[in-house]
Amino acid sequence: MKRFNSNFKGWLFMLPAILIFSLTACSDDDDNGNGNGDAAASVTIKFDHGWGPNHLPFAINTALMHPATQEEITFTKLRYYVTNIELHKADGTVWKEDESYRIVTVEGNSSVQELTVPNVPPGEYSAVKFMIGVDEDRNTSGAQEGALSPAENMFWDWSTGYIFFKAEGMSPAAPNGQFMYHIGGFEDPHNAIRTTTIAFGEQRLNVVAASNPSIHLKVNSARFWHGGISLADVFSIHMPGPNATTIADNWIGAFRFDHLHN
Amino acid sequence: MKGYIKPSPVIILLGMLLLFACARDAKEENTNVPLYIRQPAHFPKPVYTFDNNPPTRSGFELGKRLFFDPILSLDQQVSCGTCHAASAAFADPRSTAVSKGVFGRSGLRNTPALANLIWYPHFNQDGGINHIEVQPVAPINDSLELGVGIANAVRILQNHPEYPGLFERAFDSDSVTAARILWAFAQFMGALVSDNAPIDAFHRDNKPLPEKAMRGKVIFDESCAGCHSGVLQTDFSFKNNGLNMGSNDIGRAEVTGNIQDEGRFRVPSLRNVEYTAPYMHHGQLNTLNDVIEAYSTSIAAHPNLDPNLPVGGFDFSSQQKEDLYQFLLQLSDQTFVNQSF
Ligand code: HEC
Ligand code: HEC
Repeated sequence: MKRFNSNFKGWLFMLPAILIFSLTACSDDDDNGNGNGDAAASVTIKFDHGWGPNHLPFAINTALMHPATQEEITFTKLRYYVTNIELHKADGTVWKEDESYRIVTVEGNSSVQELTVPNVPPGEYSAVKFMIGVDEDRNTSGAQEGALSPAENMFWDWSTGYIFFKAEGMSPAAPNGQFMYHIGGFEDPHNAIRTTTIAFGEQRLNVVAASNPSIHLKVNSARFWHGGISLADVFSIHMPGPNATTIADNWIGAFRFDHLHN
Repeated sequence: MKGYIKPSPVIILLGMLLLFACARDAKEENTNVPLYIRQPAHFPKPVYTFDNNPPTRSGFELGKRLFFDPILSLDQQVSCGTCHAASAAFADPRSTAVSKGVFGRSGLRNTPALANLIWYPHFNQDGGINHIEVQPVAPINDSLELGVGIANAVRILQNHPEYPGLFERAFDSDSVTAARILWAFAQFMGALVSDNAPIDAFHRDNKPLPEKAMRGKVIFDESCAGCHSGVLQTDFSFKNNGLNMGSNDIGRAEVTGNIQDEGRFRVPSLRNVEYTAPYMHHGQLNTLNDVIEAYSTSIAAHPNLDPNLPVGGFDFSSQQKEDLYQFLLQLSDQTFVNQSF
């Protein structure tokens, strides 16, 4: 199939078009994408991981005593999807981020992980909402890019679906000394997708042009074991099911508001 | 020299403009043409419509090269095409009961034929995979098949002397990503359309089948087509056909966790079945005549046995068996298996 007319007169006709095209084609996309021409504002969300309701220090590869179950637990991995971020205003209006898919990975000695949400329209926001997991649509529509790439290894290949979060490590409480929670499932009755709306109380996140305010959240990494679940009971989950939904219920409760920086 | 165009000032100007415009746009126009994928009139509407993955000649060629390249295996010896060869209708030409992957490792199931995949609502014999695009992740990751891992595959192809250029042609970017690998595979596999068997001529043009096969079709329609229905001979449901013969593979239950699904497998398409021996999920039956004999005399009781299948078997006469066999041969598409790749 020939797409370009090889007839020379055809080219001449296209000359003005080519001129305009060549002037604009390669310009870097420095538009902020929110369409209103303002300099972009971005919002940072900080996930500050602690241990237990008193937010004791948390780190990977460190033995910790669970405050409720009294089990000794050492994480080797903690990764989770934070997706479909929304910012809510007190009047009920909602801004939704497009293509909102990220993975939080807790690594090394750093217990604070930051996400940057670009191109947030100016306004005073009273709450943030996000999903821990991946919506059904992206679980069922084939190859995805970015944080949803199967190369992130947060993906079940033999029974299609994203692994919403992975918590792995060691514990003398587990029969084989190890625990592995790979939690996912987007279909009823084992739907493990959870969302949380975190309100800022009386405070407001002030987004103005070119600013970068931040939302500081505390994450209780001990929260997997909650509501009577101990690691000795549940130490290996590798597919959707009732155990996965229970742990998903627990983990969504790990996220709470701490403070804002405007 | 004849046909030589003198470089007029206008052409030079044009050339310069194009140089300043993004080079990749011009390149795409030159090499990447849309690929037409046949949708036979007597087939239903396809499930996969290439919505976000418009097939092109370059995308197909890239997918084809990936399919037959052992570079995506841990021992550099196995490709998708080792287990899925054109000559065996993209089943395993080595006729192994279960697949043989890297380092000669035996897999868990028999290798199915590949054809008409854009009509499939799910993949694998337990239906665990829900989309044609993500199917290749399983063999690439599986240590019993290719084992190289999808993240590794991205790196290997990115560092290869030729592949980045092929991705550039197909996707307008030489950056290799898992999604682009998978889109290329889907373009190649999606183009494997088999619609030229005698049964197609029968459906499409009312061309009668040979006499014995016509009689076989009557038996098939009565005893088999409840599951093996339509032009693909499957309704894509999961059934226990009573022929698991000691295989301890739980099939569909692997995915759902339900005991009612134990020993159920996806009803397979029977297209090109003549070329895809051995048969069933574990390769437990060697020939088509063995399959017919088993449906006739060996259907085992099982709590999940489909009620359309009589415990014991259909008890076919030898004439009926021969007729059924002749009918199954009408599902063979010789043009499809004789394609060269
Ligand atoms: C070692 C042999 C082997 C290799 C290598 C292999 N496959 Fe397969 N393939 C199989 C087996 C076995 C199955 C069935 C798996 C199941 O049912 O659980 C299968 C299933 C499939 C299916 C689903 C077919 C259906 O009927 O649902 C597709 C599509 C497929 N393979 C494509 C590929 C691609 C693409 C590659 C290369 C990236 C590949 N295969 C590599 C053995 C192999
Ligand atoms: C109740 C549904 C059902 C009926 C009725 C049925 N089948 Fe099947 N058939 C299946 C299932 C399910 C499989 C796959 C089983 C497995 O993989 O172990 C299968 C597999 C086969 C295969 C093997 C295909 C392959 O590539 O391995 C052949 C051939 C076949 N059937 C022919 C027949 C014939 C002939 C009849 C009628 C006499 C028949 N079937 C009736 C469900 C059915």
